[in-house]
Amino acid sequence: MTDEKTNMGSKLVVNRRKALTLAGATAALSFPGPFISRAHARDVLYVNTWGGPWEESAKVNLFEPFMRENNVEIKTVSPVSFAKLAAQVKTGVYEFDVTTLGDADIVRANEAGLLEDVSKAPLDKSALWDGAIFQNGVASHAFATLISYRKDKFPNGGPKTWADFFDPIKFPGSRCLQRHAGRVLAIALLADGVDPDKLFPLDLDRAFAKLDKIKPHIRVWWTQGPQSGQLLRDGEVDMIGIWQTYPVRLIREGQPIEMIWDKALLDRAYWVVAKGSPRAALAWKFVQTAVRGDNVSKFSLANVYGPLNPKAFDFVPAEDAKLMPTSPENIKKVVLQDTTKASDQLAEASKQFDRWIAR
Amino acid sequence: MRITLALALLVALFVLGPLLVVVPMSFSTANSFEFPPPGYWLGYYRSFFGDERWLTPVFNSIGIGLATMLLTMLLVIPASFAMVRQRFMGRSAINLLLMMPMIVPNIVMALGYYTYFSQLKIIHSPLGVVLAHTCLSVPVCYLIIAASLKGFDRNLERAAMNLGASPLRTFWEVTFPVLRPGFLVGGLFAFIHSFDEAVVAIFISGQAASTLPRKMFDSIRIEADPIISVVSTLLFAVVLLAVLSPLAWRAIVKARSQFRAA
Amino acid sequence: MTTLRNERALLWLLLLPVVGFLAVFFLVPLSQVLYFSVMDPGFTLKHYTAFITDGFYWKVLFGTFQTAAFVTVLALLMAYPLAYMVVRLGGAFATTILLIVTMSFWTSFLVRTFAWMVILGNNGPLRAAMEMLGIVPAPQLLFTRFSSTLAMVHLLIPFMVLALYSVMKKIDPNLTRAARSLGASPFDAFRRIFLPLSAPGIVNGCTLVFIMCLGFYVTPVLLGSPREQMIAGLIGQQIEEFLEFGEASATSVILLAVTLTVFALYNRFVGLDKLWG
Repeated sequence: MTDEKTNMGSKLVVNRRKALTLAGATAALSFPGPFISRAHARDVLYVNTWGGPWEESAKVNLFEPFMRENNVEIKTVSPVSFAKLAAQVKTGVYEFDVTTLGDADIVRANEAGLLEDVSKAPLDKSALWDGAIFQNGVASHAFATLISYRKDKFPNGGPKTWADFFDPIKFPGSRCLQRHAGRVLAIALLADGVDPDKLFPLDLDRAFAKLDKIKPHIRVWWTQGPQSGQLLRDGEVDMIGIWQTYPVRLIREGQPIEMIWDKALLDRAYWVVAKGSPRAALAWKFVQTAVRGDNVSKFSLANVYGPLNPKAFDFVPAEDAKLMPTSPENIKKVVLQDTTKASDQLAEASKQFDRWIAR
Repeated sequence: MRITLALALLVALFVLGPLLVVVPMSFSTANSFEFPPPGYWLGYYRSFFGDERWLTPVFNSIGIGLATMLLTMLLVIPASFAMVRQRFMGRSAINLLLMMPMIVPNIVMALGYYTYFSQLKIIHSPLGVVLAHTCLSVPVCYLIIAASLKGFDRNLERAAMNLGASPLRTFWEVTFPVLRPGFLVGGLFAFIHSFDEAVVAIFISGQAASTLPRKMFDSIRIEADPIISVVSTLLFAVVLLAVLSPLAWRAIVKARSQFRAA
Repeated sequence: MTTLRNERALLWLLLLPVVGFLAVFFLVPLSQVLYFSVMDPGFTLKHYTAFITDGFYWKVLFGTFQTAAFVTVLALLMAYPLAYMVVRLGGAFATTILLIVTMSFWTSFLVRTFAWMVILGNNGPLRAAMEMLGIVPAPQLLFTRFSSTLAMVHLLIPFMVLALYSVMKKIDPNLTRAARSLGASPFDAFRRIFLPLSAPGIVNGCTLVFIMCLGFYVTPVLLGSPREQMIAGLIGQQIEEFLEFGEASATSVILLAVTLTVFALYNRFVGLDKLWG
């Protein structure tokens, strides 16, 4: 750990002067940027990112290869928010061109007309695989929302199922879930005993009734990936519904964390281009690069995602593949979401969910 | 009396304590908020000074603050002369207008600017933030400049005019030099007001014109990046320096005069 | 006659820039908020009727009032003895205290909010101290109404101290002394002489703190409980997450109306000019 830090430190020292000049130049250029139109040496693409390890890995494995190959610059924009995507299309002011959406969000976004049409996209479809395209998005990787808890808070074993997670009497303690209607409603139904194959369309009344039972025990709703990791690491919450990236990392760090793969909610992440983006062509070019086997495999490895491009596994060591949500062992345990069955209810469900949280 | 003193000291501790907490945090080796820190290093300072994602907002904030300061002064100084020296119809209405930006809650203006600047296509641009911040800085700048103007002895001007100076010359050679310190303080307050303003900036500055308060807000909300403690310490150090330096200066002057007397 | 007309012209020339600027970049966006509150998309009062008929909004509004009142009282109770001792003792004590208060005053709200996040955090010093005192397990403090209230008191105390101090320092100490020499007990002298004379400072400080609290966004959003939002946080959410500009506008108008009412009351009884003295 310490070695890693000194290493990082010395690297940073070398880079520091360069970065300072760079920052100085950026500042000089960007102000008063809007008064004098700025001459760009290179095209810029704005990519919406999740920050933290997601961005670190994307930077090295997705952005840098693309920047090198095409002589463009990628700027990152965070945080990720569905509302921002919608706001962009509504206001016509684009902060980002490309983002990733999970199974529920892509259906909802497509229903609302927020995505560029993939059929008109300048994509080389022969380089893609069967099933790569879904709802105007291109499949990138799979991740799971699963139960993770602090072993120091539950020395005799913590919640093993979503039903346990929703049982504050059997497992008292503070809880945390993502502020995300699609996933949380599905999880509530799983906790209430709904058959994983029959999750969608969502039985909203049943889901909200179940959620009411643990509402007082949800201390905070996480919205950003790194934030969820931080909450678990600092022990701000005792149990959490979280993406596998973070508990895997924390366990490697030696933190007393347990994670439960059983009935974890699987999401596929798709690259999408914001409808009306002035840089759509460049954005599609980036998407093509980002899902290439070599790139997506390296990107996924760092975050323990399961790459969805079958060719990616040529680049993944077998032992790493075991930890991925798509490994033969894990795929049997996880719950797949058929969100297309809920296409007409997701927008309303999200609204209802946001209001339910606020009260 | 003694109880009151004890109470006062406790309150002073309550005011001071939290400010000091951020200092050791910035040297912490922990990648989360552990207090007291498990170990000390300078790594997060290095990261801060090498990270464009933090430095750009710093420069944005300084640039936006300076532009706000200039624009505010250009608008407020002439108006202050009119307001302080003339009695006219509609004066109290204009006085109210000048104070309004201080009365309306910032979140309300954030919403107003969000929709308005989207229509004007200047949302997420430094220009938008400067325009918004200028409005918000007008009251504080006006209060200070008007106060210094009220304290100005107009006999100085009359004397200059009697000696044959033109009104313009009188302004440049008599009025302006006397009032300059007041103008500068007014400008400084406008700068600080912009530099510290968070709410409107959170909603309208976007990524392109992200100010430091917005970056800090996002950083706390997204991942509690340990670099935030570095930024906090540096900002606190600036305040400390600014608050202590007049004191130190006075001490130096005093020491010097004593030295001369001896 | 011409000089008079010239003077008029000069007057408006001096005022025009700021008036024009505020009209275009302040009054227009502000009026848009009023406009959108009844025009989303066509003319409608539904955002207001929703606010009035839905208990949830009342809960938020009432909670905001409650928090603002609580913070104001707490800040006054803490700031008063401090300002009083500064005036009474003077000298190095006063300089030091005023220095600390000014330092806090000028330190960014975000820096101070972050500091409270560290202090109240799960691995922070406050919980560690509680556990040392035998409160095991110590309650989790962050993301509660307690944490945001405490932080707001800390953020706003400097305003209160400075408002009190600027009035108290003008009170002639001989008055209290005279009362004492006429046989009043120290407490009586304070209660009947000093306290009433410091009242303008109390009113000013409380008004300022109360109003700032009503529209507080950053601290409640970062430290507070998601179940006990304040009204500014709700507006932020209506803008950022729900994209309901009509609804956000109506809520904003209500916050604005409440704030203006407080100002109007202050203006009626004290006079607005005195607030920023």
